[in-house]
Amino acid sequence: MDEVAEQQAEQNNQPSYWPSVGIAGVIFGIIVFALSLVTGYTMINSEPTGSLFSPVQIILWVTVCLVGAFGGMLAIWHYANEYDISIKLGKGALIGLFTGVCLALVTVLLNQLWQVIDPDMTQKMIDSTIANFEAADLPDAQKQQMIDSTVQSMRNQNSIGKQLLYNLPMYGILNVITGMIGAKVFGKQEE
Amino acid sequence: MQIRQPILYGSVLLLAVVVVFVATGGGLFNQSTPWPVQWQHQTFHSLCHQIADRSFWINGQPMAVCSRCMGIYSGFALGWGLLPILSFADITRLAYVKKIAVVMLLFNFIDAAGNLFGLWHNTLISRTVLGGMLGSSAALIFVGDFFHHN
Repeated sequence: MDEVAEQQAEQNNQPSYWPSVGIAGVIFGIIVFALSLVTGYTMINSEPTGSLFSPVQIILWVTVCLVGAFGGMLAIWHYANEYDISIKLGKGALIGLFTGVCLALVTVLLNQLWQVIDPDMTQKMIDSTIANFEAADLPDAQKQQMIDSTVQSMRNQNSIGKQLLYNLPMYGILNVITGMIGAKVFGKQEE
Repeated sequence: MQIRQPILYGSVLLLAVVVVFVATGGGLFNQSTPWPVQWQHQTFHSLCHQIADRSFWINGQPMAVCSRCMGIYSGFALGWGLLPILSFADITRLAYVKKIAVVMLLFNFIDAAGNLFGLWHNTLISRTVLGGMLGSSAALIFVGDFFHHN
């Protein structure tokens, strides 16, 4: 019982991790949003080649994925650097989870704001996608089916509810893992 | 064998297995909706390019992630699931294991860059293997954290 009370007291004495979660979530959320935007406009402004992705877009996509997944690690690094304390794996996972959620919220919020700034962006992306499919070497029936389903998928991704539904759990899970890795790498380990 | 933080270990194992199942896409469940609108594809939309030519196919449908991402997710799930067995091995020097994970990350970058610039052509299998090595080496970082032998 004393041990539990001691652990509780120790937890209460530890500094808050919310500033680190907020900083990492906002920074990485902005980067993910900016990179997604660049990917989108690269797609809009490229000539239809029959291929949905150019090498530049693939590089951008991989960067988005890496940045989105490693927010938890940045939060842990900031927390460990700021307070020079030991971080248990469970706490690393929790910080990672909150960072992933914060990152997803920031990204979705900025996406919604951008729709006010450039309301035609989704339509331009849809037009570009259709032009690319038209240029692709596919049978007509298959081409039409791909166009219909891809356009429907792009419209779905525009809804704030769908964005939250898909992004919150995925960024949360990935950052749980990178948060734990961060706790192992940056947190002083307790013996 | 002693187990520390079983809830955390079990939760991450469950999440990792669920992620792998979702990543396999609608083909595994013979879903009739076109694959771009399947919920599995929508789930990974912001994390993977999902190019069909770079993905494995099941029942005429591409997986929801590319072969490299599939390798990373399944490699991590496998590595995490094997932690109780791996804890028998004396892989406790963290710096050594961390270096392996960093090297695997670099290998993946080099492989992707080489393919992109036309220096070589990687395949579905080579991308999966390299991704799998990265995912499993990330799980190996936790050897000794959850399971102990006296």
